[in-house]
Amino acid sequence: MTAAETETQPVTDYGLTQRAAQGDMGAFEELYQRHNRRVYSLCLRMMGNVSEAEDLAQEVFIQLFRKIGSFRGESAFTTWLHRLTVNQVLMHFRKRGVKMEQTTEDGETPIQIVKGTENPNAMPVVDRIALDKAISQLPPGYRTVFTLHDIEGHEHEEIARMLGCSVGTSKSQLHKARMKLRGLLRQQKTKE
Amino acid sequence: MNCEKCQELISDLVDGGLSRGDESTLSLHLEECLACADVRNDLQSIVAFCRNHRGEYSAPPNADALWLRICNVIEAETQLPARAALTRPPAKSFWSGWTSRSWELSMPQLAASAAAIVLVVSLGTTVGLRRWDNARGTGQVVSSPRSAAATQVRDRMWQQRQAINYWNQRVETNKARWNQGMRDTFERNLRVIDQAVNDSLNELNRDPHDEVSEEMLNAALNEKLALLREFSDL
Repeated sequence: MTAAETETQPVTDYGLTQRAAQGDMGAFEELYQRHNRRVYSLCLRMMGNVSEAEDLAQEVFIQLFRKIGSFRGESAFTTWLHRLTVNQVLMHFRKRGVKMEQTTEDGETPIQIVKGTENPNAMPVVDRIALDKAISQLPPGYRTVFTLHDIEGHEHEEIARMLGCSVGTSKSQLHKARMKLRGLLRQQKTKE
Repeated sequence: MNCEKCQELISDLVDGGLSRGDESTLSLHLEECLACADVRNDLQSIVAFCRNHRGEYSAPPNADALWLRICNVIEAETQLPARAALTRPPAKSFWSGWTSRSWELSMPQLAASAAAIVLVVSLGTTVGLRRWDNARGTGQVVSSPRSAAATQVRDRMWQQRQAINYWNQRVETNKARWNQGMRDTFERNLRVIDQAVNDSLNELNRDPHDEVSEEMLNAALNEKLALLREFSDL
């Protein structure tokens, strides 16, 4: 590899964390530029509220700066940052006293479709805006499991560990979240 | 199979987590039940949409303003120790203090110093020999970096726990003066933090080298310390 090629190679996340740990704010800004969308999106999906998501994203990056020296590069930086973000959101939920294990927030029973009573109109084609709106209306416990499983792609075992619940609870919450989302998307269609 | 049972299993069907037997029973029901088939189709399209759009992120409304806010907090945090250092009188270096000191000792002082040196040296030798024997016995001459890291975490936790105990005692003496609202607030906050501590400890028991859990534990213990300090003044 020539010197010119080496110069044009982008610095790895790990390299940036090492520099940021030495107090290089330029390196930390580069990390922010690379990952702020990922962090903010995860916060937004888990919180369902723009201003709270912004505040949490801010908190995540401040925590990142404080802990950056402890990143030893044993896992991918994105994985580490992802866990830091999820933990921050869960900590926020706990501080707010959000109950993670529940049937539904308002105590309603899960949506059950009885033959013949179903809305004859097919569900609208899912689109990003409608889905984001519906996700934001989910109770926090459902929203968390749905975001972690269907959007972020975590397995139930991982989610159960993160939330401190059983795999069965994670599965059942996911199913209820999907059913609730379906209902919300249908409602959106009938309102239009 | 009835609709209720069918709908309980639809998510597993969509995720491909059903046994072959359950899947064929469910398929039979779905062939003849339009309502349940609709549920399956809807859930499939929600899940497929999420999978297809995984990795798409939305930007914060004002990423530059957010960065400035982050910078302000970090700057304030990093300047605090620097300011504190500036206001402190310059400390004499250890060696200059040591050498510029006048050494006029009485006989009893000299004897006590000699006794202390003998005691420290003999203690050091005993501990050193015992460790060497242990290491030879287990065939492990140098401790591994992992065990050193674990010891470091344990030491740090021990120190934090000592500090927590101290502040806890101060809180306990003041608690009688608090009103019910204040007591509730304190207990609520403490419960949340203790929950975070327990979660991190459970994670660490499962995987002692999990660096994120280690950091989360550290943060939670620091938070507990801050809470106790804050309430000990009230």
